[in-house]
Amino acid sequence: MPLYVALLVGAIMFGIGLYGALSQTNLVMIMMGVEVMLGGALVNLVAFWRFLHPTVYPGQTFFLIIMTVMALDMAVGFGVGTARFRARGSVEAEEAGELKG
Amino acid sequence: MILQTAFMGLFGIAAIWFAVVVFRTHSMVRSALALLFSQAALGAMFLAMQAEFLGVLQIMMMATEMAIMAIFMVMFMMDPGGLGQMEMTHQKRLSQAAGVIGAFAALGIAFLAGWGNPAATAPGPQAQLRGLGLDLMERSMLIFETAGVTILTAMVAATAVAVATRSATKRKEDRE
Repeated sequence: MPLYVALLVGAIMFGIGLYGALSQTNLVMIMMGVEVMLGGALVNLVAFWRFLHPTVYPGQTFFLIIMTVMALDMAVGFGVGTARFRARGSVEAEEAGELKG
Repeated sequence: MILQTAFMGLFGIAAIWFAVVVFRTHSMVRSALALLFSQAALGAMFLAMQAEFLGVLQIMMMATEMAIMAIFMVMFMMDPGGLGQMEMTHQKRLSQAAGVIGAFAALGIAFLAGWGNPAATAPGPQAQLRGLGLDLMERSMLIFETAGVTILTAMVAATAVAVATRSATKRKEDRE
């Protein structure tokens, strides 16, 4: 039962984050959406560790890796944001049409 | 078990509520603070799941991370206070559909897969830390080292990207 509560919270957080990352126009807000999605992933990892395999620890190691990813996407994202802001004076996705692949 | 479920549900609802607030408010500072509360509620949820180290780590990391994020938001946003009620979204229908489908796909897997019997008890905090430390230094050492090298690479990359544009900015200023 508690496992399902955690999985429910994780799934809803993932949905909210996906909506945010796709719908926001500002780079910083898009990154917030990604953070919310990764938060949902963290809930799932901790729940799987706690309720399925509490005595083996690679699950917690995986948690640390995801947390590293969360910090790194912020660092690199703000690096790109700073570069973009210096060059164009804005980090709006609507004004970055030339970055389309 | 019932008390644990109740607290997990409580903190989970708080996390979801604040995650919704992040994308509904117009003020950037409120948005960053709402994300901080959302992630801190997740940390409290980890504490309720008896993952003490991970819960405290989550709360501490997110407190600093969101404080930095709030500064950058005020720097980069057109309208940080949200007083102009500026429209900040695009492709709304598509995003809503993607969010709902993503959540339901995850829910479908969560509830249809057979997870087996859940474990009733977890090791204490001390045993957990010991186990995690041994895992990091033995079985998962290569992964852990890879994470370290990735952090270093990202630090160099972020600094290089931010510094490289300085000359471009200077050229632009000279033109103007």
